[in-house]
Amino acid sequence: MAGTTKIKAKLKNGVIEVKALASHPMLSYQEAERAKKEANFITYVVAKVGDKVVYEASTSQFLSKDPYLKFSFTGANAGDVVELTWKDLKGNTDVSSEKIK
Amino acid sequence: MINRRNFLGLGLGAIAVAAIPGKLSAVDFRETKPKAWTATKVDEAVKEIFGTTATVEGGINLSAPDIAENGAVIPVSFSTDLKATKIAVFQDANPESAVAVFSLNEFSVADYAIRIKMAKTGTVTVIAEAEGKLHSVSKLVKVTIGGCGG
Repeated sequence: MAGTTKIKAKLKNGVIEVKALASHPMLSYQEAERAKKEANFITYVVAKVGDKVVYEASTSQFLSKDPYLKFSFTGANAGDVVELTWKDLKGNTDVSSEKIK
Repeated sequence: MINRRNFLGLGLGAIAVAAIPGKLSAVDFRETKPKAWTATKVDEAVKEIFGTTATVEGGINLSAPDIAENGAVIPVSFSTDLKATKIAVFQDANPESAVAVFSLNEFSVADYAIRIKMAKTGTVTVIAEAEGKLHSVSKLVKVTIGGCGG
């Protein structure tokens, strides 16, 4: 599946640690005003393994540019696929996936 | 795709059992709590998201730099052994207070890291809701160069 988010998912002692780097300018209202652009930032991130939601975050414009997200969860195995979806203020979405190692 | 399909097929029974209640209740707090994101005070944002501002200190490990040279990229990580169902991050340096709200379920391990922007020196506050109580932890981060384009 094509996506712009870089994901690394590693299984260790039953816990899967995911490091994800989304690619997004994350322009806050202030920054956008200075840059004469429209504000746009990721507002919602969800990660799933199969049908299970393993990570869920509602976010604001104060995440850094190209947001880095690290999270952990249990209940999946090596070889399962983590699918990370984000949605931004303008309604763009991105779906990226990666196998758990 | 084959792997995914295999996995789905094999795991379907197990997942169906494990995943019934709660798991489909994905909550986008931007839609359900729109006011929380425009609140300009940490207390107001906390009240919007959790319904109260009564918190207990501690129970959460918060790691953020004492001095951030670049306010545009401040690594913030936090973890807790509490059975948290909701964790939110706030700061008081930017025009609005809320940074992110995380929903947790039984698969979640409360050990998260994000990078945030702060326009100036301010306090980062992490609040976790666990078993009906709010636990909070705060840390002052000195910002030497502003993160919001300043």
